[in-house]
Amino acid sequence: MVPSLSDEAMGVELEKSAVYGHKFSTVVPAEATGDAVTRELTNMDLIMKLHYLRAVYYFKQSEVVDGLAITDLKEPMFPWLNVYYPVTGRIRTEAGSRPLIKCNDCGLRIIEAKCSRTLEEWLSVEDSSRWRPLVPEKVLGPELHFSPLVYIQFTRFKCGGMAIGYSWAHLLGDAVSATNCINLWGKFLKGNPSLETLRLSNHQKKAESPAKHVKAPQKPVPVKQVKLAGECWQAPDTCKMATCSFKIAETDLKKMQGEKQNHVPPFAMISALIWKCLAKNGNDRESKSATICRNSTSLKSSDMLTNNLKASTITLDSSAANIDLLELATLILKHELDELESIDELIDRNSGKPDFVLYGANLTFIDMEGIDLYGLELKGQTPVQVDYNIDGIGDEGAVLVLQGRGRTDLTGSIQERTVMVTLPEDQINQLRGVLSSEFGIA
Amino acid sequence: MPRSTTSLPEFSTSVKLKYVKLGYQYLVNNFLAFLLVPVMISVALELIRLGPEEILGLWNSLHLDLIQIMCSVFVIVFVATVYFMSRPRPVYLVDYACFKPPLTCRVPFSTFMEHSRINNKDEKSVRFQMRILERSGLGEETCLPPAIHYIPPTPTMETSRAEAQLVIFSAIDELLKKTGLKPKDIDILVVNCSLFSPTPSLSAMIINKYKLRSNVRSFNLSGMGCSAGLISIDLARDLLQVHPRSNAIVVSTEIITPNYYQGKERAMLLPNCLFRMGAAAILLSNRRREARRAKYRLVRVVRTHKGADDRAYRCVYEEEDSEGISGINLSKDLMAIAGEALKSNITTIGPLVLPMSEQLLFFLSLVGRKLINPKWKPYIPDFKQAFEHFCIHAGGRAVIDELQKNLDLSPQHVEASRMTLHRFGNTSSSSLWYELNYIESKGRMRRGDRVWQIGFGSGFKCNSAVWKCLRTVKTPVEGPWSDCIDRYPVDIPEVVKL
Repeated sequence: MVPSLSDEAMGVELEKSAVYGHKFSTVVPAEATGDAVTRELTNMDLIMKLHYLRAVYYFKQSEVVDGLAITDLKEPMFPWLNVYYPVTGRIRTEAGSRPLIKCNDCGLRIIEAKCSRTLEEWLSVEDSSRWRPLVPEKVLGPELHFSPLVYIQFTRFKCGGMAIGYSWAHLLGDAVSATNCINLWGKFLKGNPSLETLRLSNHQKKAESPAKHVKAPQKPVPVKQVKLAGECWQAPDTCKMATCSFKIAETDLKKMQGEKQNHVPPFAMISALIWKCLAKNGNDRESKSATICRNSTSLKSSDMLTNNLKASTITLDSSAANIDLLELATLILKHELDELESIDELIDRNSGKPDFVLYGANLTFIDMEGIDLYGLELKGQTPVQVDYNIDGIGDEGAVLVLQGRGRTDLTGSIQERTVMVTLPEDQINQLRGVLSSEFGIA
Repeated sequence: MPRSTTSLPEFSTSVKLKYVKLGYQYLVNNFLAFLLVPVMISVALELIRLGPEEILGLWNSLHLDLIQIMCSVFVIVFVATVYFMSRPRPVYLVDYACFKPPLTCRVPFSTFMEHSRINNKDEKSVRFQMRILERSGLGEETCLPPAIHYIPPTPTMETSRAEAQLVIFSAIDELLKKTGLKPKDIDILVVNCSLFSPTPSLSAMIINKYKLRSNVRSFNLSGMGCSAGLISIDLARDLLQVHPRSNAIVVSTEIITPNYYQGKERAMLLPNCLFRMGAAAILLSNRRREARRAKYRLVRVVRTHKGADDRAYRCVYEEEDSEGISGINLSKDLMAIAGEALKSNITTIGPLVLPMSEQLLFFLSLVGRKLINPKWKPYIPDFKQAFEHFCIHAGGRAVIDELQKNLDLSPQHVEASRMTLHRFGNTSSSSLWYELNYIESKGRMRRGDRVWQIGFGSGFKCNSAVWKCLRTVKTPVEGPWSDCIDRYPVDIPEVVKL
């Protein structure tokens, strides 16, 4: 029975069963971290604790990939985890004190699976949920003390290609940290990288600063408090969310801007574009405010694992539908992002409560352009495709703008952006409709 | 003030006692010398007094003729030859090598506990395992084979063989490198592995890999428990008595993959917590020229088997639990039986190794208890007089504690055993070799030192081997301890907080 790839809903169900033969194991750091080493979670870490980054890296069949058995893939992980030992720890929550990570070398979970399709068949499915069977959908809990923070899944396709699924708990660090972490594994796989610049700052308990004079918040804080459903650290979904993804070439974006001298960078253009489209839907949920989120790519070498996000909310005077595209984009570009110092007052110093979501508290636009997604190399071979998503997004939805893989075409090299949109189900279809009719995308 | 006045007489009495003891030991141990010296002095004085002519006169009065002289000489030569021929061939331990587990097999406590919880749904069993692990004396660097790192573990014939090949071939490769021995020169091969016994045997696997000669004498001992290492040494020694100018390789190991218990029975979960990967390969030889470079000479092997007693026979028993999953059941009176087996072994080995002073004291106390007063405390001979180093099978913390108490050993004497348990876990029959390597790596092995290796195993067996060091072992020593010896000894807490 040949599955009809055009019927996307069906496709997802079939794809789930196409991945089989799961085997679970654990890898730990090569050397013992030592007794009673803990990693404090900063306020920012605790804000992000309900979000999870899911990435899938697709590698084509080649001699290199064929020659990598599971032992070859696991072996470099041991010295790699010596550097990144906190990712192998486990959450510890004592009543009345902040959650922290106990660096007890418990390990990462590794999953091996097989897929009955070939890589080509898989990638031809443009359904944006195609990555789900290839990366574990785990969250922290119900037993927090025994929940791994990071999962890696190796799926072998029928043709010999391989997908590496990477699940990362956001409280460990942001997308930059997560990507640098897995890229370092790729370097260890190739040989022994020079480790001079690698140092982890171990988050120590912050000294109790005197009670700050609480200013009336001038900007709206871009987080929303939620109530957890059970023991799991998982954002409660009050409405069904769906994702869709599409690619936009830089040239298309330039065309939209016309003949101007200074082009607005792609992220601002894309955010403005989608905001306008959503506003055009004209339903009650249309919001006049959105959060812009940017990862700090200028990494201080002493902070390899950190949640170094800048986020801020833009509030418009009128609906986004009424504002010109370029004007909106410029507004987004020029909007100042702050360091989220105000969140310190939100998080209770003692117990790290309450629980928040950042992505999806308002409609969130996340700039992931500077992240080296295609930097994960298997002995020199780069991935043909990277799917990226965030789980645990709040009800207002989020838009991720990722660097696409640079292609070369007859016309020259094409730079494109991949956009992953997570929204309530009904809004997704409408958005698609508007994008294709008005802008010829998707 | 009062404290110092009472302590002074105590101090002086203890010092006096020490000197008395020393004096007694010197007297009894060198009793023959003490007797012989005055006799020789008096004979010498007498000879000097007699003068040469009188001696010659004495000689002539014996009326000896040629035939009688020749017969006496012949008799003397004959007796001497018989004596020298009937002495056993010396067995030399040229060198040995231990398997160093790769870092990719490391199992920290937290990972072990997490896997237990996922594999074993029974709360009580998981808590039990945690309690055992906390008090086990193991460290965070012990290793389990790759198949056991899976959830659930995937023991198959293939993975078991893979583990066997990894541990055994690594040990033998290192041994061949250290000694320069060519595989073609191996005459005798003895392999012991208790719980994994495939067909063809592990010894056949070694012969196949190293292309040994077709007339090699190979033996594969299985099912004999943790003390099988010394049984193999004993077998190799007996073979070396029969075959002159031969090399024997002894391989001791335990393969964990097929024997990881996956049920809920608590008594059977204990081995999971303690047993870890390990192997050792030892080169024994009776060739004279090896004496120059050999490290040790085998002095004695004493084997004690308590299997005739039903309780001892059943105390380590492989059986199926109520759900049909097979595992090794350790009974509650294991320590008591081990103590009895040890006593039996000591009773046999004591007279063979202890100096006269200790034996006399033991004999007197025995006579006293039988004839005078049965309530006298039995005298436990001081084995520290007989041996400089002790290698006690690292079966578990309880075993080492028990032996330390029974033999009245100081913490330094059992340090090798405790540290081996911490760093490598219970590697079954090969643990004695890791302990010996620890002592060498610490630079404590000097020429003339005597080592006592004690192994316990199912059956119930208690086996001992006594070695004498032939050359001082210089540090640094290449072996499983080479990268971590500087961190040891570590202080092992009673209970590790998990």
